[in-house]
Amino acid sequence: MRRYAAFVIPALGLAAVLIGFLVFSLGDHLVYYRTPTEVRDLTVDTGARVRLGGQVAPGVEEGPGMVRFAVTDGHTEVMVEHTGTPQQLFRPGIGVVVEGTWDGTVFRSDTMIIKHDEQYRTEDGGVYVPGAPPTVP
Amino acid sequence: MIALAGHAAILIALGGAVALAVAGWRAFATGHPARGATRLPMALLLGGAIAAFVVLEFGLLTHDFSIEYVARNHARDTPVLFTVASAWAALEGSIVLWGLVLAGFATAVYWSLGDDDRLGVGALAVIGMVAIFFFGLMATAANPFTTLAIPPLDGVGANPLLQNHILMAVHPPMLYLGYVGMTVPFAFAIAALVAGDASRVWLQRTRRWTLVAWSFLTLGVLLGALWSYEVLGWGGYWAWDPVENASILPWLTATAFLHSAVVQRRRGMLQAWNLALVIGTFTLTLLGTFITRSGVIASVHSFTQSAVGPAILGFLLVVLVASFGLFATRAHLVVSAPRLDSLASREGAILFNNLLLTVFAVIILMGTLYPVILEAFTGDRVFVGGPWFDRSAVPISLVLLFAMGLGPLLPYRLATASLTWRRVRLPLQIALVTVAVAATAGLRSIAVLVTVGAATLVISSIGVSLHAAARQRGGRYVADLGRTVQSDPGYWGGMAAHIGVAVLAVGIAFSSAFHVRETISLDVGESAAFDGYHLTYVGPFQRVEPHRVVIGAAIEIRRDGRLLGVHEPRLNQYPNQAQAIPTPSVRMGFVEDLYLSLVRIEQGTGSVTFDAHRFPLVWMLWAGGAITVLAGGWAAVVTRRRRSLQLEEVPS
Repeated sequence: MRRYAAFVIPALGLAAVLIGFLVFSLGDHLVYYRTPTEVRDLTVDTGARVRLGGQVAPGVEEGPGMVRFAVTDGHTEVMVEHTGTPQQLFRPGIGVVVEGTWDGTVFRSDTMIIKHDEQYRTEDGGVYVPGAPPTVP
Repeated sequence: MIALAGHAAILIALGGAVALAVAGWRAFATGHPARGATRLPMALLLGGAIAAFVVLEFGLLTHDFSIEYVARNHARDTPVLFTVASAWAALEGSIVLWGLVLAGFATAVYWSLGDDDRLGVGALAVIGMVAIFFFGLMATAANPFTTLAIPPLDGVGANPLLQNHILMAVHPPMLYLGYVGMTVPFAFAIAALVAGDASRVWLQRTRRWTLVAWSFLTLGVLLGALWSYEVLGWGGYWAWDPVENASILPWLTATAFLHSAVVQRRRGMLQAWNLALVIGTFTLTLLGTFITRSGVIASVHSFTQSAVGPAILGFLLVVLVASFGLFATRAHLVVSAPRLDSLASREGAILFNNLLLTVFAVIILMGTLYPVILEAFTGDRVFVGGPWFDRSAVPISLVLLFAMGLGPLLPYRLATASLTWRRVRLPLQIALVTVAVAATAGLRSIAVLVTVGAATLVISSIGVSLHAAARQRGGRYVADLGRTVQSDPGYWGGMAAHIGVAVLAVGIAFSSAFHVRETISLDVGESAAFDGYHLTYVGPFQRVEPHRVVIGAAIEIRRDGRLLGVHEPRLNQYPNQAQAIPTPSVRMGFVEDLYLSLVRIEQGTGSVTFDAHRFPLVWMLWAGGAITVLAGGWAAVVTRRRRSLQLEEVPS
């Protein structure tokens, strides 16, 4: 290894600097996942982008190009104003992850991910009913 | 009954694996390793692995819902192709396929054994040990043949994401062939370390096996990208998803090894580094398996849901400690490094390439594991965005591309300025002219211009050196081109792979820099303009197919008044699955792809919302990838035929 020292030491140093730089910049690119309870407890409006995950509560109001609904984790409901047309699968009872900011009263989202179940089974825990019709509009 | 047969098959394979490890080790330890001692264990391992896989397929095809795996992953009306593919669509079944592929590679190694082949039987023993782990896993924590007391009349059906496209039947096996294939170079590395064997034979065999596994891995990654582009409907082929990262990590280190192996072959240097890369690649495949199979990345809390995750993690730690421990204590036996004459040389360039590839891998590894580590320590769940990865990946890839263009032009030992300039001048001129032409033609993105320049440099430098080499032969020019390539298939195969990567890079640069996206909402009969296209919404439709219900929107595409076709972005709804799968409609073209992805059809009015994307030159991505895969496969096959490989005298 001694023979490569002239190359290896500066190279490792360079790599370390690069990696260190990237680690420090990591913080700016992190998006935190929060539950509705955690979001509600964020009293200060930091303007930071957050991913809020939970279930869509009944009572969805749809307007042109936007939709208002509550996301719940069973304890807390957080009002979400989502800009954009929600996906086909969007409906009360489905799991969603919305990304946006929390101003203390309303969560403003512009990105919505319909939560795909880990095991890709029915959401209510895999209860399977033979002959039940698929849900289509 | 079927379950019993399957379980028996797994136990036979497990027994074969144990016997293989023991017999291989015995043969390795004696002075006269006999191939024959491993014949019976090998037969048991392969036979058991094939039987387990066949039994699983039989259970799926005969709708045997008394087997839990079948009940969870198969339904009566699933088409046959996806039924067959269901065998590897979920956790337990995928480990059965893993075992089969491992047994297949072990058999290939067994066939390649020569007489008195100490290294070979040692490698077989190591493969046996790895097989003990995977078949042990199948016998315990991930048993695919667990039975249900009360079998249901019908099963749940396969994951809709997986039965939505034929690619899903092909992509995982290819990836497995790549992943599992990396076990073989690892086994040879461990055998060489234990034996203290620094021979060229080790390098030659390891390189060939890595080339085979690497080609499959490349194909698997590529098919994965194609799948996410054609099937997922989010409009893209790469998202820096942890699962995608898991596949690219061993690819990067294996690629680094394929390069530094050249330095060892030609100059006898970098043995220790090569061993470390091979061991590292194998551990990264295990890490990838852990990431994709434990759900740990989505949340650390899903960690305990299955015993498979901790088992793989445990095995990963054992492999890491044992192999790097072995490396630390025995590497001096295999190392005898001649001096590196100058950094300005081919060796220096390859060292530089290795450094870049390794740093690249470390960065992706960090970004992938950071959320896990953060959650483990603080409980915060986070997500690292794609822009973070792009920020490091783009510059590193560009430097790599330039190195790819210049490196092969540098001579071994010492590149003097005048010689280097003489070789670089023409390719550089071609590249600069190309960039100038592209800029004049209206290409304004700096990143794309740089990529085009570097890619042209790669291709033109290969063309120029091939031309020069063929000219030197002085026969008929076309025949000489072929003869030149045949004379060193390893090198020219590598160069062809470089061309593939250059083409692929151009595809990525164009399709990401000039990607246009718009969300469009239309009522029935309405039209909208999108980036030169005229899109008319004909109406919604619903089709009932045997295994699914399809809803979609018919959209007429016109350009300059000419009808280009009616496209049908749609959602596929599978019975018994809550989730419907959006399936985009992609109009692939030479200049650009028009990509339509359905967002929503309003229930009452039938008005539609869809995402329209334009991706220029995506075909270059697939074409470049295909060239790379074929080049790797060709080099592996041709190198295989030329069994004796001498240390070549290096012209300086």
